[in-house]
Amino acid sequence: MSGPMQTFARRLACASVAVVATLAIAACGSNSSSGGTAGAGGGHPQNGGTLQAAIPDNPDHLDTGLSYATEGWEILEATGDGLLGYRRASGAAGADILPDLATAMPTVSDNGLTYTFHMRTGVRFSPPVNREVEPSDIKFSIERLFRIDSGGVGFYSGIVGADQYSKTRNGGISGIVADDQTHTITFHLTAPDGTFLEYMAIPFAFAVPKGTPNRDISTVSRWRVGTGPYMISQYVPGDHITMIRNPNFHSWSPNDPAGHLDQVEIKIGTDPEAAVNETAAGQLDWYFEAVAPDRLTELKARYPSQVHIYPRNDITYFLLNVRKPPMNNLLVRKAINYATDRNALVKIFGGQGTPTENILPPTLGSSYVRQWPYPYDPARAKAMVARSGTKGMTVEVWSHATDPVPKAAQYMASVLDSLGYHAVVKTLDEGVYFDTISTEKGDPQMAFVQFDQDYPEAQDFIDVQLNGERIVNVGNQNTSNINIPALNKQIDAARAMPLGAARNARWAELDKEFMQQAPWVPFLNRTLPKFVSPRLHGLVFNGTYYEMFPSMWLSK
Amino acid sequence: MSVQAPELLTLEEPGDLAVPGAPGVGSWRAAWRRLRRNPAAMVAAGVFALILFACYPGAPLWVHFVAHRGPDAQNIQGTIFSGGHRIPVIRNDGTPIGPGLRGQYLLGADANGRDLFVRILYGGRTSLTVGIASALLCTLLALLLALPAGYFGGVVDRSISRLLDLIWSFPVYLLAVALSASLVVGGLDLGPIHISSSSLLIPIFVIAVVFVPYMARPIRGEVLALRKREFVEAAIAHGAGPLRVMWKDIVPNVTATTLVLFTLIIANNILVEAALSFLGVGVSVLTPSWGNIIQEGYGTIVTAPWQTIAPGIAIMLTAISLNVLGDGLRDALDPHGLRRASR
Amino acid sequence: MRSGRFWLRRLSGLVLVLFALSVMVFVIFNVVPGGDPALRLAGRHPTPANIAAIRHDWGFDKPVWTQYADMMDRLFIKHDLISYQDQTAVLPTIGRAIPKTMSLAIGAAVIWLGFGVLFGVLSALNQGKWVDRILTVLAMAGISTPIFWLGAVLLYLLTFAWHSFPLFSWIPSGGYVALTTSPLQWAEHLILPWICLSVVSMGFYSRVVRNSLLEVQSADYVRTARAMGLSRRRVLLRHTLRTALIPLTSLFALDFGAAVGGTVILIEPVFGINGVGQYAQQSVAHLDLPPLMALTLYGGFFIVIVNAVADVVFTRLDPRIAVD
Repeated sequence: MSGPMQTFARRLACASVAVVATLAIAACGSNSSSGGTAGAGGGHPQNGGTLQAAIPDNPDHLDTGLSYATEGWEILEATGDGLLGYRRASGAAGADILPDLATAMPTVSDNGLTYTFHMRTGVRFSPPVNREVEPSDIKFSIERLFRIDSGGVGFYSGIVGADQYSKTRNGGISGIVADDQTHTITFHLTAPDGTFLEYMAIPFAFAVPKGTPNRDISTVSRWRVGTGPYMISQYVPGDHITMIRNPNFHSWSPNDPAGHLDQVEIKIGTDPEAAVNETAAGQLDWYFEAVAPDRLTELKARYPSQVHIYPRNDITYFLLNVRKPPMNNLLVRKAINYATDRNALVKIFGGQGTPTENILPPTLGSSYVRQWPYPYDPARAKAMVARSGTKGMTVEVWSHATDPVPKAAQYMASVLDSLGYHAVVKTLDEGVYFDTISTEKGDPQMAFVQFDQDYPEAQDFIDVQLNGERIVNVGNQNTSNINIPALNKQIDAARAMPLGAARNARWAELDKEFMQQAPWVPFLNRTLPKFVSPRLHGLVFNGTYYEMFPSMWLSK
Repeated sequence: MSVQAPELLTLEEPGDLAVPGAPGVGSWRAAWRRLRRNPAAMVAAGVFALILFACYPGAPLWVHFVAHRGPDAQNIQGTIFSGGHRIPVIRNDGTPIGPGLRGQYLLGADANGRDLFVRILYGGRTSLTVGIASALLCTLLALLLALPAGYFGGVVDRSISRLLDLIWSFPVYLLAVALSASLVVGGLDLGPIHISSSSLLIPIFVIAVVFVPYMARPIRGEVLALRKREFVEAAIAHGAGPLRVMWKDIVPNVTATTLVLFTLIIANNILVEAALSFLGVGVSVLTPSWGNIIQEGYGTIVTAPWQTIAPGIAIMLTAISLNVLGDGLRDALDPHGLRRASR
Repeated sequence: MRSGRFWLRRLSGLVLVLFALSVMVFVIFNVVPGGDPALRLAGRHPTPANIAAIRHDWGFDKPVWTQYADMMDRLFIKHDLISYQDQTAVLPTIGRAIPKTMSLAIGAAVIWLGFGVLFGVLSALNQGKWVDRILTVLAMAGISTPIFWLGAVLLYLLTFAWHSFPLFSWIPSGGYVALTTSPLQWAEHLILPWICLSVVSMGFYSRVVRNSLLEVQSADYVRTARAMGLSRRRVLLRHTLRTALIPLTSLFALDFGAAVGGTVILIEPVFGINGVGQYAQQSVAHLDLPPLMALTLYGGFFIVIVNAVADVVFTRLDPRIAVD
């Protein structure tokens, strides 16, 4: 439900195509969002000032080894760095990987099995650690992920010795060789993996100092340090977070600016409606979450320059469980796709997004080739269901309780009813929902999924959710349980390739082939509407980091 | 006395309303006459009867003759004719149509294009069913506990009182919500019987159980006092067994209190169902109830306030009429007229 | 002074009740499937090895009674109970939440007690006249209001629909400001929640006071005073009010206990007050057992203690009644 229950998408999103001014998609490389001159204009950036921000709930973690949600990453990208990072820009450029703590992109050798990085010197951790960051810190940070059972360990399991280390927790990961004398660090992989560069750019790979304890240090200021332009000086869960300038920071590249704001004050516990009211009253500058959907029309009319709409790297769909009747019948899966009017679902989501029948979101550059294999045709759908002989069966449609998802589930139930099924909607709280549908015990026939990227590349969408080899009983992300060996092989082949146009073409092909199998009813690529105060400028939305604090500035 | 202020119903002197043996027809008739002369109670009874009529037989009649769509008929892409124009039921930004003087969508639509007034009528069915059924179950359980406790006293009384105390110490909402939350996820399996998580039996059961102490304590007090009365002692001395005494001498004399409590607790339970639905652990969403219509509309109160306001008014009307009626019943059933004199 | 035996018995009763409550909560949340906590702790994309490791590290693979003992240990002895949902420490969060809930409950209690008695007295003084009738109707309406709904509707009307009227423009749309930060803003933020929380009890108390006063009025000693020529009002206020208020004390104690222990769960989420009630509502929604355990015991403790205090006060006020 919405309103009283403060929830937020626990999935990450990214935009690597620029913004939509209306519901049409246009690719352009602008440096700010659409519809808002408060973001782009305002004149020359001024330094100073405290940003008054708010968030509805505690961020999942403020520990780079553990945080796996947009709110956490949005804060941590301003306080930390890894060997690589994304270009701190919006649009397609925001998916480019650039060296960060590394002096240059790594040398790749041994047919893609070895990555050698040369590290910068002179970059220091924030107080109270203060000393320079070294390659052994990077090695420590990756190994620490395994010791603290981080949600991100899956990304680094392809390193030689990682599996062994995750079991024994002893002796370090043999495949990471750090040399503090020569300032180099080398990674040996078990198999070629073009995606490895992505894994080194996300916050899990950010540097933490050697000696950081093997537990959540979100509230431990002694260890909650980083190399970024800002540092977290205070975190009182349920109350507030304070970010101040990191005195030990000096900018070493244009992609790592020093930031204009002096301070960021984040109040915890403000719900979306209150945030809108406070922003309109001038008490709040910026809110972590999307504008409450029922306020958006009014805000766009009254404060057009303060509303920004960003495309997320997101795919929203209903999964169809190919292991469970009637969804095990391809005819039925196609019929449901024909019977769903995507425009009705867009209305339920307040018009905040664009309808889709692709697996991949349009923000993924050349991996995305628009298709529309199932134009709305209820008559045809009914005929297909009749042919399948599954009429009258009971189908459970699962959703979580945050508005407007239950309404979307009810719409799907009405679609199923119109096809001759007996549909039942089951709603769970968002906090437990994804955990429940990803277990074999849960394993719903049909369920709502909103998937936002971990990193801005198609593999994240296709491999994780559609590769049959990824099916597990607990923590399953391939919740439609689709398993087509030929396609699995194609996915594995694509992921080994280096990043680039050839690889993207493979993904586009797989997008098309999977939709022929209709494991999902994809329907929406959601956008992120934001409402900010008139004095806030310099908003840049990056698909991985979201709106970045170092680029923001306040006018007097 | 309602869920929000869960304290004991205070009948000042328990046992006050008792008469020896079974109360004769005369005293019930006298009570009925007193009730009839209470204009507030009569109006309240009328209002409640009207609500019952509107929700049970009235709802399908309205659907058939006026609205032409049931409570579950969604209509996201549809249009209707209103005020001389053809307008969409749901705008592109998701805002549904508001109330208007027309047969269809009298109170407007909800976010899925369903007729709000029709849903409120059918929602009333659910809320009233849950309220009345849970009140019945609660009364039954309360009697089953209070009768032996008050009659036998001693160890039986102490253990039952401890049990009631325990249930009552569990913060009412946390208990109701905890039970509902866990049952709502997986349903309930009692041996061969499986109760699905969307069944109404779950809220009925949870609400009944949580408020058993609320009813059982006053009744127990009455039974305790009655137990010491001469006519009961006499019956026992004559060799009557406990069941017989309970059935013939005690039960008739607690009927009055039970009836008053029963009326009041229906109101209470309707409010509790609404609260549980608001917290997301009440009646499941595909069956409308007043509580879950509020819960669905709460997020969009700014663009569609009627979805939140209207069911709340329905709840208030129902609860007020039941509370006034219960008050009137209490006065009518009080033969000593202590409070009557002061009215 | 109450005997030592009384307090000893009460204390042992309290411990037993708390123990039973803790077992009840534990059973309810473990017997019924409600989302595997290990999965929740593992975050996204966990590997089966990951999940197994968490299950082991957190002790979910131990027998149920060991887990229960562990939880009690973390709660009462080590004070390091951690939430499954976001791994924050439970006890400090409750500690920060209590002042907010107390502000809400105590403020509302003052209002409902004050106005409840006032309206009850007014009703009794003007028995049968239109003042009495109006107050009765209001009282009935108050008792019958769903308070979360009232909160939502008031917020909508006063902070959105009618917000531009100067009468309402100062009302904030939710949140909490500490008393120490700004007493004025503290009160401004709490005025609507106070009203919502007190509306039901106000109605109920005014009825109880009214009925109580009118009943006492027909007692012998009152008739004597009237016969001696004292005015009705004087008799009412000086002689009968105190006696009539006696049943109110135990009611108030029960009410307050129930409010702090539980009813706030309906008000706080609506107004965004990060108190105990909101924490409870979030924890139940997330099926998060550790905070729920702590909150249930906190609530149960409060209710039992307040009941005991009520008994003591009640017997002191009316020595005729012996409470067992």
